[in-house]
Amino acid sequence: MLGSLRDGVGFDMLLIGASMLFLIALAGLPLIYNVMMSFQEVDMFTLGSLFRPFVGLENYREVLAEPIFWPVMINTLVFVVGSMAGQFVLGFSLAIFFAQKFPYSGTIRGLFLVSWVMPGLVVGAIWGWILAGDFGVLNVILRGIGVIDTNLFWKSDPALSLWAVIIANIWLGLAFNMLLLSVGLAAIPGDLYEAAELDGANAFQRFWTITLPMMRPTIGAVLALGLIGTLQQFDLFPALTEGGPANSSNVAQYLSWQYSFQLYDFAKGATVSVMMFVLVLFASIVYVRSTRHEVRG
Amino acid sequence: MTNKTLTSTVALALGLAGTAAFAQDPVTLTVWSIDGDDRPGISDTFSAEFNEQHDDIQIDYRIVAFDELVNETLRAYATGNAPDIVSFDNPDFALFSSRGAMLDITEMVENSDIINAENYYEGPMNSVMWDGKIYGIPKYTDTIGVFYNKDMFEAAGIEEPPQTWAQFEDYAERLTDPENNVYGATFSARAGEEGTFQFLPLIQMSGGSYEDVVTDGAVEALEMMKRMIDNGWASQDVLSLGQWDSTGTFNSGNAAMAISGPWEIDRMVEDAEFDWGVTLLPVFEEGDERSSALGGFNLGIMSTTEHPEEAFQVLEYYASQDDRMFPEFGNIPARSDIELPESGIALKDEALAVFQEQLQYAQPRGPHPDWQQISKAIYDGMQSALTGQMEPRAALEQAQASIDNIVE
Repeated sequence: MLGSLRDGVGFDMLLIGASMLFLIALAGLPLIYNVMMSFQEVDMFTLGSLFRPFVGLENYREVLAEPIFWPVMINTLVFVVGSMAGQFVLGFSLAIFFAQKFPYSGTIRGLFLVSWVMPGLVVGAIWGWILAGDFGVLNVILRGIGVIDTNLFWKSDPALSLWAVIIANIWLGLAFNMLLLSVGLAAIPGDLYEAAELDGANAFQRFWTITLPMMRPTIGAVLALGLIGTLQQFDLFPALTEGGPANSSNVAQYLSWQYSFQLYDFAKGATVSVMMFVLVLFASIVYVRSTRHEVRG
Repeated sequence: MTNKTLTSTVALALGLAGTAAFAQDPVTLTVWSIDGDDRPGISDTFSAEFNEQHDDIQIDYRIVAFDELVNETLRAYATGNAPDIVSFDNPDFALFSSRGAMLDITEMVENSDIINAENYYEGPMNSVMWDGKIYGIPKYTDTIGVFYNKDMFEAAGIEEPPQTWAQFEDYAERLTDPENNVYGATFSARAGEEGTFQFLPLIQMSGGSYEDVVTDGAVEALEMMKRMIDNGWASQDVLSLGQWDSTGTFNSGNAAMAISGPWEIDRMVEDAEFDWGVTLLPVFEEGDERSSALGGFNLGIMSTTEHPEEAFQVLEYYASQDDRMFPEFGNIPARSDIELPESGIALKDEALAVFQEQLQYAQPRGPHPDWQQISKAIYDGMQSALTGQMEPRAALEQAQASIDNIVE
């Protein structure tokens, strides 16, 4: 066994063991702590201790009984679906556009990455100005091209506030989607297209029968990462709407933060995040199962 | 640290090392506050001076960002690394004092020659009290009033600043000028502490309190604010703008009246290219009891400190410098025994006189250990009424139900 440490089973075990330890320490323990906290009564001054009164499902019962719970869940769903759809469709379109060969396509595509390296809070502040009701750039443009005749209050109108965050989030995640999808596109052998063209397939048919099927694993990965990234998106909320007005743009991740760090109800904050974790876990299982099939095929 | 070593080295070199104080290490006290981030502030300046004057006590001063102050202190307290002295926004103070995290300094204050509890305005003093005991001292204070654009008032033929809320609404309507992007009034009704800060006074002046928010006046006020937003006399963005941004539109001439506080004065003197004035917050009926919001910070010693006596000496030093606070830093001391010197800028001095009068009506938020939850119930209620999701009375009743759960 010891001899195989340098080369063989022992070495493999060592590598796996090290990464497992790392994973347990950095991701596992906080997760367990979080789950534990959701079953306890946590006073802000018992935050440092591990053992606190056990309350069973009381925290879950209370969170579910909050009048804003279901509206917030619906907002979360709209936010996730809206953001992901926008990021994916626009990202895919841009990836295909820049896959065409024209001068400086690579350079221009590179410029899109600016949004990716910007911190969410900065993006939030910039979009805050763009989306401002009275003096915002977006309203000026929309009025200029005649789409609207009175200003839209993106951040303060309960019907629009969630969309204000979604728009900013689509912009923020666009480059990441485009980048991953571009890599996927580049990996499709060019002769497939040539053969299809010789057989008389038009552009739409080539996209439908070659691009999409060949991109399936990439699309799966992009969507899975998109879901996780969207559920993690937090910075834009405090920067743009603070979940308001009247919770119309509040989502689960922001609610969890509000419970923990605005209301100092750490147990409820943990409870909401455990609920979100279950959701992500479910999505991951679906993703893993769908790609496993892909690998076999 | 280097400063400290330097001081003792110099002292030694001068041959003054004979006293006992030098035989042992000086006591080091940690002080946390938000001052000194972008420009010299109160706590960092006074701490540095204190260090120069003392060899036996040294202050280790740390700037903590406003948004992180409470969280950071909670975490530090939970892990046993709490600072000796910390300064909190006044509604956050009870969170700590009610749980025994702040040191009871009632006796120290009674025996002090420098700090006299009676010199402080009642509101700020209440915010450091819990259960009849003193847990800290007010650091500085502020409140809100109505700024108004005198040029616009004159052009519209309005002579007096608004005295009642009905007048406020009427003026707002008359001063609104959509052609020139001018709103009649601006305020902050955002989903956060600032929203509560501006709305709670209306509840209070109609006979309510944070424990009792359903009053006829509060319903009337919400209806009025909603009318103003719906009719375009105030921007819909008041629902998401903080006070500083909201008053920015007043400074640029895009709003005729603005509800905000003395922290705006310096910027307004610089930015506003018109004649302006300040008046007290209006009331519902002339002769009604006045009320206003109380802002400002407090200072307290944390109960985990190992050097309570020395920490109190530091508080005494801070308090002894209170008369420099306004001229040097522009903050209003929370004390009635300090005359604020004239700045020589007429607009500023007039505005200040109004805010000092307004301070007499300012009431602290709380004190209550769960203030943040109460505050959320209030601004959530306000926002659901202003966005039309609920009728004002129903929205306030829902807020009341949440508050009853918290206060019990």
